[in-house]
Amino acid sequence: MTIHSYWQIDVAEEPARSEPSARPRGPTLFRDVRTPTLNRYDYYAQIAQAAAQTAFDGVFLPHRPQSDDSRIVAAAIAREVRRITLIAEFPAWSGSAVYAAKQAVSFQRAAHGRLGWAIAPSADPAVRARDGDHVPEDELVERIEELLEVARGVHGERPYSFAGRHFEVQDGGFDAPLNRVAFPRVFLQGESEEALALSARAADVHLFAAAPLAKLRALVETLDTLALREGRSVAFGLIQPVLAREDQDEARADANRIAIGGDAIVGTYDEVAARLAALAALGITHFVLTAPSSLEEAYRIGQHVLPRFHALTERVPAAA
Amino acid sequence: MTIDFYWRLPTHGCHGSIRHGTYDRGDWSPLGPHNIAPGLDRDGEDDGFRYIDHLAEIAKAAESAGFIGGLIPSFPNTDDPWVISPLLARETRSFRFMIAFQPGFLNPVHAARMSASLQRATGGRTVFNIITGGGGPAQLWWGDSFSHDDRYGRTTEFLDVFKGVWKGQGFSYQGRFYQVEDGGLSPLLALEELPEIWFSGSSDAALQSAAKHADYYLSWLEPFDQLADKFARVKERTAALGGEQKCAVRVDLVARPTEEEAWRDIRIGFENVGDERRRASRGGPTDSVGAARQQALRPSEAQRYEDLIVAPNLWGGFNLLRGGPALGIVGSYEQCAAKLDELIARGTDAFILAGTPHLEEAYRVGEEVLPLLGGQAEALLQAAE
Repeated sequence: MTIHSYWQIDVAEEPARSEPSARPRGPTLFRDVRTPTLNRYDYYAQIAQAAAQTAFDGVFLPHRPQSDDSRIVAAAIAREVRRITLIAEFPAWSGSAVYAAKQAVSFQRAAHGRLGWAIAPSADPAVRARDGDHVPEDELVERIEELLEVARGVHGERPYSFAGRHFEVQDGGFDAPLNRVAFPRVFLQGESEEALALSARAADVHLFAAAPLAKLRALVETLDTLALREGRSVAFGLIQPVLAREDQDEARADANRIAIGGDAIVGTYDEVAARLAALAALGITHFVLTAPSSLEEAYRIGQHVLPRFHALTERVPAAA
Repeated sequence: MTIDFYWRLPTHGCHGSIRHGTYDRGDWSPLGPHNIAPGLDRDGEDDGFRYIDHLAEIAKAAESAGFIGGLIPSFPNTDDPWVISPLLARETRSFRFMIAFQPGFLNPVHAARMSASLQRATGGRTVFNIITGGGGPAQLWWGDSFSHDDRYGRTTEFLDVFKGVWKGQGFSYQGRFYQVEDGGLSPLLALEELPEIWFSGSSDAALQSAAKHADYYLSWLEPFDQLADKFARVKERTAALGGEQKCAVRVDLVARPTEEEAWRDIRIGFENVGDERRRASRGGPTDSVGAARQQALRPSEAQRYEDLIVAPNLWGGFNLLRGGPALGIVGSYEQCAAKLDELIARGTDAFILAGTPHLEEAYRVGEEVLPLLGGQAEALLQAAE
């Protein structure tokens, strides 16, 4: 069983770090020689570099409407951060399916096939209306399914035609050399019955939200059954907040100080690795790990937890 | 007065020479020993370079040679400008990315968010070349079934929304194509400058939409009288609507130390074009008024390259040698500069230049032609007579 570990770069977290507009105004005691060209993108690149150097397989960039667009960030750092996968999350209402696929293959061509596609969880109607999206609630899942069908269709076939409720194409399909790259791995989310059923039909990986072990076990089993019924296999993934320290007291104290969420895994390096291995034993193979303070924690988790976690999972028998 | 000169990033591969029709830069043709980006290593295996590595070379050449930025075109079989721009953002410094794109392909609010992010990544180096024309089967390929005039209506609304949300939160809009309720960029993103907007399109519907939203009206090169008339009309119409519009030309050059050398390249290139390609280049039916104007320029049966000379130093056969518009400038460095000066005198406020191969010609045109502008080429030509 191959475990994939990704580090989350949340562009909305630590908003002041490396942000030129957040620097102290007026004279400072220290001589400040930073130019405005030194900015958040240097920081994003640095976190990704940290993830790459500490042997993560990739970074996960969630869609955050109040900050930088994840597909722009992924492309902006792709050429200086080698090797790792860049999973960019975007909402299904961001544009046409053909155009999304076109952008994906351009990225794949330039970055040696390192793009991952995550479709953002649906947002409530008021949020979508702000973005000019008015598709009824009961059609949202259908739209994601059409988006993926058309995007994979134009990538895989020529000529390709499709007439759906949300997207249409006539005699489309990519030609060489655009069709020579692999389509990005598709990550979907959501815990509703409908979301799980969609993943059974269309996801490569389904990302669950962090939850108690028993709840995750039930979700994994449900999705497994649904996928089997579709004659497909879907990989299971998890977005998991973690906080690891040298000893337990420190871990608890820091967890209290930063008020990390209830579903976070908190503990020593060994404890956190063991908890992750227990999740891997459920059949979960894609781990998006996340912690406040992205750069420092990427080093800490990457240096101390990942090696332990990987050592444990190499001994875990393939789960049912 | 200064004039903005852009270069072009060829997004569909590039020819190593204007004399030959093979795309030997990029992977748009089968890889052979002379291909680059990707190329073959000594064992005949893919060498690991990708076409973006060549585009990076061209962007850096143009930046270094004095161009303000580059147009990044978008067609069905090209790499995408929204991806290319951020990919190259952090290894260029002053180079502006002019993204060609059709508004119908993106949600306008999300497009504004992506643009502001790109502005943040580049320090404000994003420019848009909004394309609405084209049409016919190509449009359906993209998954867009709107009619020609509807597309201009949609472009206008797209830019209404794009600019509206850029002003910050609390923006609502009730259009035919877009409805936004209480939207707007976050304060962080709204700090950025709105990208400059370049607009193409020769139809009435296009001119109307451009008058409302464009900073620059962009045309392919046409015979100079025709072009000067068109620019005068665009400026007049925009003024009547209370706006102000600059005009720009996109043109290819073959600039050489002497005129003879320039025409020699054209002659060899023309002779290397097969009959089949000559017939095909006449083009099929199109919804694009601009493309139709270009097709009407050319004599239907050219046997010799000289048959396509439409005026001194103006040649109408460029589309035989590479994809794109037919008319371009051919001559010595001084003659090319004098032609550009003439275009400036007749109402051109900015240029997108190109030459094949794009990398080497960016240096040549930047170093040899641009410094002669502003009457200096004219003086040199007169002194020579």
